[in-house]
Amino acid sequence: MSGLVSIEPSVPEPSGPSTSVELSEDFREFTDARTLAEIVRWSREVVSDPGYPTARAWGRSGRGAVGCFPVYTPQEIVHALGLLPVALHGGGENVEISHADAALGSFLCSISKSTLELALTHQLDAFRAVVFPYICDVSRNLEGIFSRLLPTVSTHMLHLPQNFTSAGSVPFLVAEYRRWVEKLEKVSGTRLTDDALRASIETFARQREALAELARLRMNEPWRIDLSEYYLVRRLGGLLPRELHTSLLGRVLEEVRGRQRKRRDAIRLLVVGPFCEQPTLDLINLLEEVGFYVVGDEFLMLHEWCERPPPDDDPLRALARAYVETPRDIGVRRAPSQKGTSIVERVRSAKAESVLFLTAKFCEPALEDVVLYRRGLEKEKIPYLHLEFEERSTAYEQTRLQLETFAESIFFE
Amino acid sequence: MSETVPRNTAPSPPRAAGEGSRGFLEEGRKLQRDLVEEYYRNLATAKERGQPVAYMLVGGNLTEIVRSFGYEVVFPEIIGLNCAIKHASLDNIVHAESMGYGLDVCGYVKNDIGLQDLGGSTPFGKVPRPDLLVCSFSGCYIYVKWWEALAESYGAPMTTFDVPYMRSDRPWREDVDYMVSQLWEFVHYLEKATDHSFDMDALRKVLAESRRAEEGWVKWLDAGRLRPSPIEAYFEAIFYMFPINVLRGTARAGDFYDVVNAEVERRVRDGTNPVPEEKFRVLVEGVPPYTHYRTFWDYFRRWGAVSVVATYPKVGGLFDRGFLHDPSRPFESIAEYSLGAYVNQSWEQRRRIIADYVDQYSADAVVIHGIKSCRSFTAGQGDLRDWLIHERNVPTLYVESDHEDPRYFSPAQMRNRLDAFFEALEQRRAAGSLAPGAGR
Ligand code: SF4
Ligand code: SF4
Repeated sequence: MSGLVSIEPSVPEPSGPSTSVELSEDFREFTDARTLAEIVRWSREVVSDPGYPTARAWGRSGRGAVGCFPVYTPQEIVHALGLLPVALHGGGENVEISHADAALGSFLCSISKSTLELALTHQLDAFRAVVFPYICDVSRNLEGIFSRLLPTVSTHMLHLPQNFTSAGSVPFLVAEYRRWVEKLEKVSGTRLTDDALRASIETFARQREALAELARLRMNEPWRIDLSEYYLVRRLGGLLPRELHTSLLGRVLEEVRGRQRKRRDAIRLLVVGPFCEQPTLDLINLLEEVGFYVVGDEFLMLHEWCERPPPDDDPLRALARAYVETPRDIGVRRAPSQKGTSIVERVRSAKAESVLFLTAKFCEPALEDVVLYRRGLEKEKIPYLHLEFEERSTAYEQTRLQLETFAESIFFE
Repeated sequence: MSETVPRNTAPSPPRAAGEGSRGFLEEGRKLQRDLVEEYYRNLATAKERGQPVAYMLVGGNLTEIVRSFGYEVVFPEIIGLNCAIKHASLDNIVHAESMGYGLDVCGYVKNDIGLQDLGGSTPFGKVPRPDLLVCSFSGCYIYVKWWEALAESYGAPMTTFDVPYMRSDRPWREDVDYMVSQLWEFVHYLEKATDHSFDMDALRKVLAESRRAEEGWVKWLDAGRLRPSPIEAYFEAIFYMFPINVLRGTARAGDFYDVVNAEVERRVRDGTNPVPEEKFRVLVEGVPPYTHYRTFWDYFRRWGAVSVVATYPKVGGLFDRGFLHDPSRPFESIAEYSLGAYVNQSWEQRRRIIADYVDQYSADAVVIHGIKSCRSFTAGQGDLRDWLIHERNVPTLYVESDHEDPRYFSPAQMRNRLDAFFEALEQRRAAGSLAPGAGR
């Protein structure tokens, strides 16, 4: 157990800008956190440590953690086996790439490189398994490199179906999940039971409901919670035990609802594109600093991808159906609708006035969609801006200028 | 040895071998050209004939089924590579960029979208608009993005044939079942769309033709095992991929491979080989730089280097590893063939295939050509190089440019890299640490 938890009072102070945070095994730092400020402070600590401190803390008592590459994996399965599903988000701005470039190639997104770099530099040692869903060819290929370079870690490339209308899609996905389950059962040393999976589905459904509640609040009254607070609270949702996160959300919602804050005169913005690699917190903050309220976003799609799984006798099939039947339209899932139409619908339902395409450099799925989205927005005369980012970039002068100009052009329209 | 050989080492003077053998590319190449011309002529007149047009991707394509419903088939990847060879891709790419497609988008996608927005005229004829977009999701995520964009631009219906990623030596039953159910749904869709009934017996006949072509193609590829190799398994194979991918299922495809196999026999008899003196037997991995295809080939020829085997010609299917169409199991074998697109193989499978090829074809070395705008093929090729060098002891070079975009091919740099590599191989052989053609 870390020295941090022995410090009184019971909620230990974060260790400053250190990049190594040791959390207690029972996550007391969070269970004892009473205010949103404390939760956010700890979240900031956890997020800035590229070594996934929640996975380390969980693993310290012999329990296993499973790294889940973005965007979507049915984490309920991991949870039902007594393992901690941890959403991987790359290395952020704190990781120097020195090994991964050579293995992966030059023209690739930063998250793929930093994730490999973290593994090669033992920062992912807390993980007994890693799963890469087929969201793009980079994620897919990354699994093949992990499996060679990290032979002791169980890896799986999860083929999520692309055909959403075939009668064969759900049975196939159930079979695909079973293949993954077999590997995870070896990792956990337990068998997956229907009852355990049903209970996990319930746990995740409760978490999603609480997150949806927070998202609604943010959309309707964005002044009540800062974007960075909102982001950091959500980001914890893929890192902490889910039951704990759901209870934190209860506290957060209560506090935020009671806040007395003034509404700013800001432009309502929908942020599209960062569904996988994440921009830095500084860049996220910048969006509101320059005069926007982000009222809808694709930052952490993990929590929003699937609705509550439909009722089904077989819980594995329920999960498969949840994926196949979701109407979600993002860059790494075949659109059930026309892109141009769907973006306009999303703008309308978020009551947004403008759109920011914030795409990770070299993220081809996001880049290709931008063209189609733009056409839809242009038809409806909805203003938009396209910016590229890298998780490692820390210079924002140019970005600030572009955002300010964009905001001004809308203000003075 | 690796690409860490000194880069500025002055290369040995070009060999006489570098000029290639006179009379090497004859009948087969001429016939291929005729077939390509005929294909484009047919495309240009499809609408006049009242023939519906389907767009399809090479990997896991369903050409036999679609043709059996009377469609003419357009393969935008093949149009893209033909545009690049004819130096016509850059205008299309730049136009697509002006439409908002970023620098990092696949060159095929940009060539295609730029081309259609500019009116669809290529140096070999006009490409008709699609009535149907068949997305065989076999090995590349960008296929989906590309087809979505076409569907929105043309307003044409898009159907997806989802092919699971291959992570085992032989197909998994559940994966085949999934694909077979999709194939039934697809033929029912086509029945409605065309008002034609599906005829399984007719499909069996077409598949028998496919099989004949596939066996002929495999026989041709197998010739690379001979020493010296009578074929160029990368640069020449690129021409001969056309019938197997585009005309499969027609008698013309099978006849074509009869012709080129007879030509191989003549070459063996007459000693007419890709280079007069075979010095290095090379496995090439990766998509070619079509924009500088001949230049790139010359950089091999001048050293007497012959590609005896290559992975790129297998993008349409791993026929040489047993993924053949079978008229007695029509849909199952179509499913299995679709799984066998080379880029649909996991990295573990790709490594295994490459290791087998090095042994079976007695390759001395591997050259990997990475494509800037293709993550499917390229992401991880650096790791492949490492694995070949350190775990398989195979001299390996990694070079990079683009398949469609000439702005990324630097002739001087490319030549230096290849010169240095082959020179180091030569030195290694002189020192006795590279047995001629002994692979590992
Ligand atoms: S950032 Fe984009 S390209 Fe990179 S792994 Fe994620 S989805 Fe794929
Ligand atoms: S495999 Fe590569 S070259 Fe082919 S379409 Fe996909 S990204 Fe483009």
